[in-house]
Amino acid sequence: MAGALVRLRAARWSRPALALVVAVLLVLLPLVSSPYVNYQVTTMAVFAVALLGLNVVMGYAGQVSLGQSAFIGIGAYVAGYGTTHGWPLLLTFLLCCLLPGVVGMLVALAAARLRGLALAMVTIALPIVGTPVAKRLSDVTGGSQGLTVSWLDPPSWVALADDQWRYYVVVAIAAVVFLLTRNLVRGRVGRSFAIVRDNEAVALSMGISPYRTKVLAFTLASTIGGASGFLYLAVVQYTSPETLSFGTSINLVVAMVIGGSGSIAGAVLGAVYYVLVPVLAGQLDASRTALLSGAFLLLVLFVLPGGLVSLPRRVQQLLTRRRRRSATPSDDPGDRTGTPVLTSDGRTP
Amino acid sequence: MTDDASPGTGVPALQVVDVTLRFGGIRVLDGVSFEVAPRTVFGLVGPNGAGKTSLFNCISGHYHPGSGSILVDGVETRSTPAWRMARLGLARTFQHPALQLGETVLENVLLGAHSLLPGGPVSWSLRLPRTRTAERAARAEALELLERTGLRWAADTRAGELSHGLHKGVELCRALMSHPRLLLLDEPAAGLSHGEVDRFVETVATVRADLGLTIVVVEHHMGLISAITDRVMVLDHGAKLMEGTAAQAQVDPRVVEAYLGREVAEDEPA
Repeated sequence: MAGALVRLRAARWSRPALALVVAVLLVLLPLVSSPYVNYQVTTMAVFAVALLGLNVVMGYAGQVSLGQSAFIGIGAYVAGYGTTHGWPLLLTFLLCCLLPGVVGMLVALAAARLRGLALAMVTIALPIVGTPVAKRLSDVTGGSQGLTVSWLDPPSWVALADDQWRYYVVVAIAAVVFLLTRNLVRGRVGRSFAIVRDNEAVALSMGISPYRTKVLAFTLASTIGGASGFLYLAVVQYTSPETLSFGTSINLVVAMVIGGSGSIAGAVLGAVYYVLVPVLAGQLDASRTALLSGAFLLLVLFVLPGGLVSLPRRVQQLLTRRRRRSATPSDDPGDRTGTPVLTSDGRTP
Repeated sequence: MTDDASPGTGVPALQVVDVTLRFGGIRVLDGVSFEVAPRTVFGLVGPNGAGKTSLFNCISGHYHPGSGSILVDGVETRSTPAWRMARLGLARTFQHPALQLGETVLENVLLGAHSLLPGGPVSWSLRLPRTRTAERAARAEALELLERTGLRWAADTRAGELSHGLHKGVELCRALMSHPRLLLLDEPAAGLSHGEVDRFVETVATVRADLGLTIVVVEHHMGLISAITDRVMVLDHGAKLMEGTAAQAQVDPRVVEAYLGREVAEDEPA
């Protein structure tokens, strides 16, 4: 009992402490690392935001969306247009959130009546339609060549290199988006997302309209996606129809599942995967990048069905199982395959 | 907003008038009418397939009957969407407790506060003071409800680790969180042991007295029906067979026939 209390107290302190350590590391990192590392970490922050948006609609509200890349694309194009036309930075950012949000809401007003595969098909339409449209509207988007910009250089009063300045801007915006989303999914709205995902009949009897909740989740997902589009352009300084292609959407879904769906930390881990695995696989054997990342995907899904975020819990489960086995010597090596879920069952009163 | 619909003014807590529900060519409910007086417990009984749960779903707004009238505190709700019913003071439980097994018991109960908590997505993501205050109050109230139903110890346990009998208690707390005036209980005794049924009856009796609830209960368990209901209505093949007290229902020859067939009466099915 006392042990449990100590563990509880430790758990209460370990989260803020961990957050503080991560925050300090994030602030110090760009000062000591190379521009290349800064670029990679900044890219992770960009895709962490994109994955967070996807997580809101798919992980928390349980609605399939294969169109997240379209909102990143729209956000990036709005940012590009704003920059080349000399709009104020804040206005550009707000429009980068607003415009994709409105598009997402309009699509959701129709699509949220559907579910499952039908919903997936409608959301696929966004990148499928968006890519040729982006190529066509070459006055705004630069057509197939894309849009190259040069913006977000450090102001003269800061003694930072381009990569460091962009790192701080992107990571700061990402941190704010994460904080707001974390607050949202923990309270009243988060609970309504979860029950719409789990059981719509119960949602109804709790005074929750599943339709409105789904529209809200899609709208938030596309708004956050648009914000990540702004950040994308800030880091890469280039966008093309490729950004909103269907392939990007699929890779984002894969990264979300690998990181851990329905989890804030999972979005970060998913982004690390999204950025890092192609890099690592490319270093091993550049010609087999796709093969190696596919193998990694299978491995993670097989060992950690809950995604990378469930790793600590999984390790703990394996440890308690081992401890129990050594406490009560079992001569049955066959039960190694037993599902770990069973270990907690002995506690039901 | 009419506040005069409160108990004591003579307006029934629930009025069902000539409700007919069809699924395709099948008539599930056939001109059913009854009234429930405020602060009473009303039982819906009848053999399997009699239409009890369908009637229940019509009242809670999950089904919309083709004709007839349903009034909650005097307000017509026949075509009101189910998600608006919570604000009209209606809460329900489900035959198979539909809890979120991965969440803690406390989180499950807090869901019931949804219709009372203020603020939309913006104020919740900014954690505005009023949302924090409301959330804190809701947590305190959830813990108090759990205390009252003897489940306080389980507040931080994952719902999936509890037994079926305890799920029923958690679901009751979740329903009570919305401060209902009319509570619908769908087969609360299904799958409970004798001891658990007794405890459930006790809990319902106390919360009813404390909160001034009107309760409509669908149940097979005649012991529970006799113990908690003031009046019952017996349904058979979607039509009303009789209405009266539980004791009257148990000796009514039509009821006995509906349950057991045309023979001499024996023990009630448990």
